Amino acid sequence: MMQLGADGVFVGSGIFKSENPAKRARAIVLAVTYYNDPKILAEISKDLGEPMRGIDVRQLAPQELLATRGV
Amino acid sequence: MRVGVLALQGDFAEHIQVLRRLGVEAVEVRKPSDLEGVNALIIPGGESTTIGRLLTLSGLRPEITGRALEGMAIWGTCAGMILLGKEADRLLEAPLGLIDIKVERNAFGRQVDSFEVDLEVPKLGGRPVRAVFIRAPVVREVGPGVEVLARLPDGTPVAVQQGKLLGTAFHPELTDDTRFHEYFLSLAEN
Repeated sequence: MMQLGADGVFVGSGIFKSENPAKRARAIVLAVTYYNDPKILAEISKDLGEPMRGIDVRQLAPQELLATRGV
Repeated sequence: MRVGVLALQGDFAEHIQVLRRLGVEAVEVRKPSDLEGVNALIIPGGESTTIGRLLTLSGLRPEITGRALEGMAIWGTCAGMILLGKEADRLLEAPLGLIDIKVERNAFGRQVDSFEVDLEVPKLGGRPVRAVFIRAPVVREVGPGVEVLARLPDGTPVAVQQGKLLGTAFHPELTDDTRFHEYFLSLAEN
């Protein structure tokens, strides 16, 4: 996103569903600062653990679907 | 003249635009080697604890302090002024401690309390400076070697100078008035 010209990156609360949120947060902050430095990007991206897993919409119960909320 | 702008976080791009408009070579500084050949440094506005942490992680902290002691001109705007000072409240990282001032962070309240005001700056002469304060700090205590360049109408210092070190609580890079940048460049050239 930074390479495409963004001024910054907003990190959502999903980061807390990753294996090591603090380490991942630090890596994201440094990646925004050093977005044009492949060597640093490679270094800070090591051993971050699992990211947040996506959830398949077909596995959600109907009451958990956003489309049905507030109806 | 080659001016570095600390580009770890904050509004460095706006400072670089002003410098280039003035015909000055401007470079982004993110690591110690970026300081090579740089004659002066601007520390922009942003979030002071974040910039302070990145100063440590990047290895730039001792480099900048060393260059300042050798006489390099440095100007901090907003968060940059906080970091140049000796002491600030609720700052989770040590400031650089180069200007003998005590700073109060976020002295006006929340974002909705940000404002613009015309300030008399005798050093710049002529018409007042339109000063943009964005969740801005103020200077609460000034040491003996520090000159106050501008004050709010209530007397609170918001622009200070100690030798070749300059601090402003507001953001001259966000207006079309380039006099503060030109003043800083004149300090750097001397």
